[in-house]
Amino acid sequence: MMRFLAGLLMALATAGAALAQPVNTGHLETELVAEARGVAPGQTIHAALRQKIQKGWHTYWRNAGDSGEPSKIEWTPPPAGWTTGAFVWPTPHRLPVGPLVNYGYEGEVLLPFAVTAPATARPGETVTLSGTAYFLVCEEICIPEQGVVKLSLPVTAGPAPADPKWGPAIRAALAAAPKRAGLAAAFEKRGERLALAVTGPALKGADLAEAYFFPFEPGLIDHAAPQAIERGPEGLTLTLAPGDEFQVQPGPRALAGVLSLGGAAYEVAAPMGPLPSGAGGLGPPPAKSALGAGSAGLGLPMAALFALLGGLILNLMPCVFPILAMKAASLAGHAHEGATARKQGLAFGAGVVASFLVLAGALIALQAAGAAVGWGFQLQSPPVVAGLALLMLAVALNLSGVFEVGLSLQNTGSGLAGRGGVAGAFFTGVLAVVVAAPCTAPFMAPALGWALTQTPAAALSVFLALGVGFALPFVAVAFAPGLLARLPKPGPWMDAFKKALAFPMYGAAAWLVWVLTQQAGADGLARILAAAVVLAAALWLAGAAQRRRLAGGRSLPLAAAAGALALVALVAAIVPRYALATPGAAPSGATAAVPYEPWSPERVAALQAEGRPVFVNFTAAWCVSCQVNDRVAISRDGVAKAMAAQNIAYLKADWTQKDAVIAAELARHGRAGVPLYLVYGAQGGAPRILPNILTEGTVIKALEAAARS
Amino acid sequence: MIPRRALLAFGLLAMAAASPAGAKPHVGQPAPAFQAVDADGRTRTLAEFQGRVVVLEWTNNGCPYVGKHYSSGNMQRLQRQAVKDGVVWLTVVSSAPGMQGHLTAPQAKAWKAKTKAASTAVLLDPTGRAGRAYDARVTPHMFVVDRNGRLVYMGGIDDKASSEPESLKGATNYVTAALSDLKAGRPVATPVTRPYGCGVKYGSAD
Repeated sequence: MMRFLAGLLMALATAGAALAQPVNTGHLETELVAEARGVAPGQTIHAALRQKIQKGWHTYWRNAGDSGEPSKIEWTPPPAGWTTGAFVWPTPHRLPVGPLVNYGYEGEVLLPFAVTAPATARPGETVTLSGTAYFLVCEEICIPEQGVVKLSLPVTAGPAPADPKWGPAIRAALAAAPKRAGLAAAFEKRGERLALAVTGPALKGADLAEAYFFPFEPGLIDHAAPQAIERGPEGLTLTLAPGDEFQVQPGPRALAGVLSLGGAAYEVAAPMGPLPSGAGGLGPPPAKSALGAGSAGLGLPMAALFALLGGLILNLMPCVFPILAMKAASLAGHAHEGATARKQGLAFGAGVVASFLVLAGALIALQAAGAAVGWGFQLQSPPVVAGLALLMLAVALNLSGVFEVGLSLQNTGSGLAGRGGVAGAFFTGVLAVVVAAPCTAPFMAPALGWALTQTPAAALSVFLALGVGFALPFVAVAFAPGLLARLPKPGPWMDAFKKALAFPMYGAAAWLVWVLTQQAGADGLARILAAAVVLAAALWLAGAAQRRRLAGGRSLPLAAAAGALALVALVAAIVPRYALATPGAAPSGATAAVPYEPWSPERVAALQAEGRPVFVNFTAAWCVSCQVNDRVAISRDGVAKAMAAQNIAYLKADWTQKDAVIAAELARHGRAGVPLYLVYGAQGGAPRILPNILTEGTVIKALEAAARS
Repeated sequence: MIPRRALLAFGLLAMAAASPAGAKPHVGQPAPAFQAVDADGRTRTLAEFQGRVVVLEWTNNGCPYVGKHYSSGNMQRLQRQAVKDGVVWLTVVSSAPGMQGHLTAPQAKAWKAKTKAASTAVLLDPTGRAGRAYDARVTPHMFVVDRNGRLVYMGGIDDKASSEPESLKGATNYVTAALSDLKAGRPVATPVTRPYGCGVKYGSAD
């Protein structure tokens, strides 16, 4: 009978607990819920303060951030021996409000806490824990709200069954809460910033792109400042802006808080001291796709797709067009021999793809070796530029008919202009890629940046896609007889066409000479022009030798002279070291309209400390889109006026020559090449990245926004 | 004497020009200069109070944390005492138009009269320029500037981060402590504390 009564009472109590209505405090509904339907004497179970917050409103984490106040419960003293623990705070969200950033929760949240029954608790009795829950609920405005919350827990002889609804929910909340994962952590002051380094197995190989440190206490960091992420083999380093409390001596000696990776989160306690090793050196996480994939990570298939599209676009780039023009002539020559055209198309494609893979392999190897190089590096070396300029000149002279390329020459691979044969097509593909590389950077920066931070296999597949995209139109033309049939029939016009095609090649040679002048100055210009004249003479002699041979005459002396002269030209152009022009010393002509200073990270920091907005232009003489942007969007009256009016500092980072610091900065922003345009606001913080294709309006708008932010 | 004052003022202005919004205020360093129109329509600057201790109080009359200090008379008491001691007390409203706590000049005058506030002036900062110069994040966010124009205190008004009126009991008032230190010629013992309250309602456009 007694047992029946006890059971009845318990059932009633349970029903009572279940019937406890949530309290509506105005902008949220709250109640206490327990993971189990009762608690055994001496047992600890978890309960939770549930908040169902009105849409658009939020409550706060244990550190509310710039403003606000954490939710709390003030308990009416519980019966003797019963204890309640502190909240196990779920990882908060960043809640920006104007220029401020708060930490808190939106929607529905459970704040779990432990409830322990004393060993003396008597099964059958029901204990009610009650208290007043206080919330600061904010939208734009803040309202303190409170409600009396109650939790009735029957004491059961043994562990009680889980509550079907709240049991799983509370356990999930506990499982998702930040974990102590034995991470090693320390922080140090670095100039005006704090470097927080965290290492441990939990971080190894983890996706760190969303990493963010939530300090447990306010005053330690500037909550609104962005946290730059540097990855390392064992963990990561976050660059934090110090909070007010670092203004007093000795200042905080430890940073404790939660390192959130977006999904997983870990508790971190970092004393001031030497940073753990392996927390840096791998650059920032790959940039989120600037091509519109939003905040979602750029997966391999998407990256490959973008690479394919990028490759297709490359066909339209000015530094590729001359090669394609050449190839078009070649295809025209074989338009009525389907099999040959297909073979050539495939060979061209193979040349393109092979070159992309070789370049990618080299880049990955160099990257792995820690060399500070980026995509487009082959045009940063003056001898390479000089060699390419001479090559372009040779191709142009060939198209002009000064000399012909014999089969023997072609097969050695140096006959890049060879218009017949599979090998010629293959090397045309190779040449197209070499010249196209600087053009890939602006279009492919996100995908390349992504690829370069991935495993070599993933990087190679992206480059493969890039190459396939690049080669696709020509391979398609080669395989679509319909398209081929539309090509004009061979005839005398072809010679005129070929000679006309020489001019884009002269243009390419002139452009490369200009690039070299940017790199090596007037002396370099003199050398390359002299070499060009000697080479032209050599090729003229070679042509003469060919004609004499055709006429049955003795051609060897002429050919020998031609070879010797060509060798002289090449050696003169490539072998002696070029004295590098000092960057920034010679502003390139028309761009002087807007005064600038050379870029350095220190200069940016100094200008930011002065509270000046900063515009940084990462450019290179060999980067066509950079030059176009400069002329159409940056070196403009309107921009100059906006800069003067807003007191904006204009810094130029010239990557025409190899520069490890610039390469590192590009990598920091997830880029492997130029252009990159950064605008730092007057309030400091992370820069805004402008699009790679600029208009004057975009620049002025960004500058004006920077002065206000 | 006059040229020297002018020089000082000029120096402060120059400093202001050199450190516009963006450079966060640092205790022990010159307080950021500002210029704002008060409830009477007069343009006030920090430079005009050179030689006097200045308290800056960020406020928002709709904020419950501000409400705790005004409804209880706590803030007015502090203001009266400070002004009696020769301190300049400037109450700053950085709420943007349309945002909570925004006051026009007549509204500010009426609010000051209604609350019997004893501050020297209520400054209207609808653009948030002064607020941002001080990195004022909450209401009430408190700053104390010494006679030499150096920032000597920034942070909360007291150590009880709550909007409950009962929390005033037994609270340690940091502004009172800082002013006492200055009065006694001591360095401010607690120059930086954690401000608490509602976020300053800056315009989101800037």
